[in-house]
Amino acid sequence: MNQPRILIFACKWCGLIGADAAGKKRASLPARFRVIPVECAALVEPDAILRALAGGIDGVAVLGCHSGGCRYNNANHASIKRFELLKDLLDTTGIGGERLLLSFGTAHEYHQFEEIIENFFNELAALPPLDPWLSPFGVVS
Amino acid sequence: MANITVFLCRCFGEIDNAIDFDLLRKELSKDTSVSSVSIVDSLCLEADIEKAASQIKETKADRVLIAACPTLSRGNLPVDGLIKEGIERHKIDLVDIREGCAWIHGNDPEGAVKKAKDLINMGLAALQHKEASKDMRVSVHPDALIIGAGPAGLAAATSLAKTGFKVNILERASAPGGMLRLISQLYPTGEDAADKLNPYIDEVENNHLITFYPQSKISSIEGCIGNFTVQFSSQGEDNSIQSGIIIIATGAKIFFPTGLYRYGEIRNVITQMEIERQFLKGSFDAKKPVFIQCAGARDKERPYCSTICCPASLKNAMRLAGENPGSEVFILHRGIMTPGNVLEKYYRDALSMGIQFICFEEEKPPMIMGNDRVEHVEVYDAVNGITRKIETDLVVLSTPLVPNDDSVRLAQMLGIEVDRYGFFSESYPMHPLETKMDGVFICGSARWPVASDQAILQGRAAAMKAVSYLRQREIAASTLSRVPGPKSGHARVVPDSCTGCGNCVAACPFEACHLEKLEDRHISKVDMMRCKACGNCVSVCPNGSMQIPEHNYRMVGEMIKRAF
Repeated sequence: MNQPRILIFACKWCGLIGADAAGKKRASLPARFRVIPVECAALVEPDAILRALAGGIDGVAVLGCHSGGCRYNNANHASIKRFELLKDLLDTTGIGGERLLLSFGTAHEYHQFEEIIENFFNELAALPPLDPWLSPFGVVS
Repeated sequence: MANITVFLCRCFGEIDNAIDFDLLRKELSKDTSVSSVSIVDSLCLEADIEKAASQIKETKADRVLIAACPTLSRGNLPVDGLIKEGIERHKIDLVDIREGCAWIHGNDPEGAVKKAKDLINMGLAALQHKEASKDMRVSVHPDALIIGAGPAGLAAATSLAKTGFKVNILERASAPGGMLRLISQLYPTGEDAADKLNPYIDEVENNHLITFYPQSKISSIEGCIGNFTVQFSSQGEDNSIQSGIIIIATGAKIFFPTGLYRYGEIRNVITQMEIERQFLKGSFDAKKPVFIQCAGARDKERPYCSTICCPASLKNAMRLAGENPGSEVFILHRGIMTPGNVLEKYYRDALSMGIQFICFEEEKPPMIMGNDRVEHVEVYDAVNGITRKIETDLVVLSTPLVPNDDSVRLAQMLGIEVDRYGFFSESYPMHPLETKMDGVFICGSARWPVASDQAILQGRAAAMKAVSYLRQREIAASTLSRVPGPKSGHARVVPDSCTGCGNCVAACPFEACHLEKLEDRHISKVDMMRCKACGNCVSVCPNGSMQIPEHNYRMVGEMIKRAF
């Protein structure tokens, strides 16, 4: 069985609260994900996602607030468009857009965190492992 | 080489069974950037924070990594405590090993300890690359500027003057009062609008702290919180004033329903405002008036409810019924909107007075019948399913409030936003009177149609919000935060590599970026007073010239490398 690894960029005001709440209720999730808290989903550079995938991390999740609920004047709205473009890029390069998960929800939807991450783990487990040999081949400069 | 002190918090042994702390310490001691590793019981207690602070001073560590519970639990306590002890914010990092690791992976101790180690490693990487943003302070001009002298603007002005600040009011008309001057009585109390307005006007005329500029027109607004410069003309004379904050109380205007319900084509079809004007002159003679609600509102073009027209109709219907005994008053509506305890009673009062309510559907609006003056109204009663013919001598259309024509122009001058209809909008949740620009407040019908009592309430509230800035001599950019606590940083441009493409200018949601002309090229500049460190500019920069020092690309890259 494939053991995928996930990197999560979680917005401090929504996604991270979900991650905290999952811990508080002692949810049981595989220990193969790491969370990097960010101030806003807009701060996640597409470049950073590519770097993570190039480094062999199987999937990257970006968790932000609902469009309209952003504390930074809909900054996250712009990021949605950016990540959709990035998904296209991942598809065309053969990495696969499904390796990038976008989820936008509010802090009171924290119970979804567990489900979202579990589903993402299952989806990635069905894909072949992403090897770090990707980067020398010029997928990511 | 960095000299990092690591504190591992056991949470009173709560997470011992999931994380092997001794193993963790042994592994961490191998890292050359780590100078010491201490396992503590409870970093959230004051005594332990003090102990940690003195230990940091003794070992002369230049960075501190705390592995404990997250900020949302009690992780903020050691961080805040150490900041109070004089350690800079960017030299401390907090790693969540309780909720994010021990508790969530309780059934996998091996995975948990591996994850804890990785998380701490990521924290170490972050600490080594984190930098501090520059801060900036501006002095605050202690005068306030209020645009619009309606009930909201007057309430804001008098409140600010009461607290001792000088206030300038710009008004387009030649006298203060706004729309209240056009109205005879107020709902639901029935008091004269003039009685409510006059104390405010007296204060504006007599208070030496308030300067009123009638017939004024704004030509430009520049600057940011603390120092706005406004160029305007008043009574034909050009003028310029400085102010620390701006309160927008420009109100709204009445929608004229030209073409709707044969308004303008046939006599005796008038609007709510015209009936108010008649009431101001004296009494009004109508035996069989019919009020039609939502004329031009809640349709495809203006799908919103203007909130004030239903109570206003109730008020005028009750007044007509009271002044003309034996009259039959109809209100044709699409659902009467009277929220709250007071207005609901108002509606019930109207019912008990014998005013008849007929509900119609949007698809089947009432038909106005008659040649040169209205004779009867045909309406499909949606509740009873019958078409009714109502004889009438007067049709009153309740029209919504719509934004002023120049609201978009004013919004562009100030750099704030309007909603899809043109009303000024607050730009982020939970801060109803503040806009995207710090120091610019909105109140009254400029932000949404409200009655005068609400406008006054909002005006006073906006004034109090403004006082919190005006009373400061200086404002630091880092305090102008959108979130609890100070800002997380400011975006910083690397001038040598910036190509001046302008991506960041287009992407910034706070209009903080602009291009500056150098001798041979353009580069981007960030206005720290406006920057909120959301990071949109960072993500769109094609060559990494835009960075937030607290969250720079080196740091993220290192964190990703060490994530597994």
